Amino acid sequence: MSPLASAPVSPQGQTPESRLRDERSPKGRLGFVTLVALLVVALVTVILFSLATGAVRVSPGAILSALFGNHPLTATQRIILLQIRLPRVLTSAVVGAALAISGLMFQGLFRNPMADPYVIGSSGGAVLGACIGIFFFSQISLLGFSVTALLAFAGSVITMAIVYSLARSNGRTNVITLLLAGFAVSTMLGSSSYFFEAFDSSSGSNHLILLSWLHGGIGIPRWTQLSVSGALLLFAAVIAMPLMRRLNTLALGDEYAHQLGLRVEYTRVGIILTGSLLTAVAVSLGGLISFAGLIVPHVARLLLGPDHVRLLPVTALSGAIFLVVADTLARSMFAPTEIPVGILMAFLGGPFFLYLLRKTKRSYTL
Amino acid sequence: MNPLLSFRDVSFGYGGLDVIQSASFELEPGSCTALIGPNGAGKTTILRLAAGTLRSQSGSVILNGEELRTLPLRKVARTVALVPQQLDVPFQFTVREVVEQGRTPYLGFLRGQMTEDRMAVDRALKLADVTGLQHRVFNELSGGERQRVKIALGLAQQPKLLLLDEPTQNLDIGRQVELIDLLHFLRAEGITIFASIHDLQLIESNFSSVLLLSPDTPLMNGTPDEVLKPSILEKAFNCPPRRHPLLLERIQRYEKRAG
Repeated sequence: MSPLASAPVSPQGQTPESRLRDERSPKGRLGFVTLVALLVVALVTVILFSLATGAVRVSPGAILSALFGNHPLTATQRIILLQIRLPRVLTSAVVGAALAISGLMFQGLFRNPMADPYVIGSSGGAVLGACIGIFFFSQISLLGFSVTALLAFAGSVITMAIVYSLARSNGRTNVITLLLAGFAVSTMLGSSSYFFEAFDSSSGSNHLILLSWLHGGIGIPRWTQLSVSGALLLFAAVIAMPLMRRLNTLALGDEYAHQLGLRVEYTRVGIILTGSLLTAVAVSLGGLISFAGLIVPHVARLLLGPDHVRLLPVTALSGAIFLVVADTLARSMFAPTEIPVGILMAFLGGPFFLYLLRKTKRSYTL
Repeated sequence: MNPLLSFRDVSFGYGGLDVIQSASFELEPGSCTALIGPNGAGKTTILRLAAGTLRSQSGSVILNGEELRTLPLRKVARTVALVPQQLDVPFQFTVREVVEQGRTPYLGFLRGQMTEDRMAVDRALKLADVTGLQHRVFNELSGGERQRVKIALGLAQQPKLLLLDEPTQNLDIGRQVELIDLLHFLRAEGITIFASIHDLQLIESNFSSVLLLSPDTPLMNGTPDEVLKPSILEKAFNCPPRRHPLLLERIQRYEKRAG
């Protein structure tokens, strides 16, 4: 085609012939609205089934009809559902969504599908920060936030800044350096968290908290803690929205994004802060849960394509579903023994990570 | 007429190694300038300086009468587009999703794409003849197809000055002719073209001026006839006389003209 010879460009810019070809969108991508609707339905269903799972049987149907005012539950059932299962299920949903969104943001920032808050050490930083808070400042709170949560956030931000500056050279992220730096920093931070045990004066109770954190177990939180975390998740998701389009632009590389008028440095700082806030939310509720932030955005990208704007709600919902399912499995598979969901995730996520490493070997010149 | 772009004594080096030494030249609005020079002479550096992705270490780059470094990034991005040699895109972005990024300088903090942005993208796709590829995955395209998508991405910025870094690489001769047609068309639309290019024959008949960059001699700016002289090219490219078919042909033509 020569533009000189071509017909004037119509508003749609398409000739009948090209419109025919345009119908071919890439194979296997789902419609956005369909997918979001399906995920909302799936999340509600999964939460119902998770509520119904446990030593005391309450069928999902009974919960539903109780919700609509028919056939009230017994007092025991009410206590079990409202005081024990519901907080735990909602916590898994919040943790899952937070990890998935921060995974999406870090993958976009590093332009690499193998970044995840756990792999690159952001979670480890949050745990170390939280440990310092628990062992030294457990009584202090600042503007209503416990120092523990603030230190978890600070730990995550600092770790990200260190790993990020180590992995960047000449405006590019070297994948090997990124993974190695993340690995080294995570290991270091994990061990330093144990180090604080030596100074523990609380006769062992902090030790248990620490252990459950490092294994990634979701406990039964107080409602206040859960609602603060939920609010922080929403807050971070709202901040993340305008960053998503900028992540698409950053995919072209820093220099190109700069050439397109994007203030790359500010954008990067915004992404690191928001991603770290989400990591801190997840870690303060569920400890070190590996690979959830890796798997969920990856699968969402396979279903929907890489546009971050549309991926944000989809990854958030999928992350919530994924972790609710994982935690339900973790507490019911070997009932009455519960295994920490972080350990289940390591079993699931480890092989997936290795598969991804092998698959992307060529395209990312590892 | 005021020049659209001018370099005044611009110097730039990477890590103490000077690549550009006090370069001065001007581009008139509506001109079509070829940037030639041996490998490593700094052609890409000149283009990056002109696009504002590199900042000159001394001297000044002036865009539309204003010092480029003082202009907001978004304003520069609405005036100048640089089509790079290489574009790596991670993940499975489609051609349309890639070209849509060219609208970045027009989008507000929260505002997404509007009808005018979609029309600009459609038009850019159409001009670069990649409308049929718009739903294909960018990473799965051939080198020549990618080249055209990169040009569409630059056109989506609706620039006044289009910088192209070796746009004919990866293009077969048919596609090269189309590219030249496209450049003529854009020029007719009032877009100023500044392209680094290796194919001297394409320059001769299609570009209004030539900028010769060579490591040891000062920058040379003139019409193709003035710059593409055998003696000048031989020296700049350090190419033995009569070894290159183009030089040989030009030498013969000069000899004939001289009688």
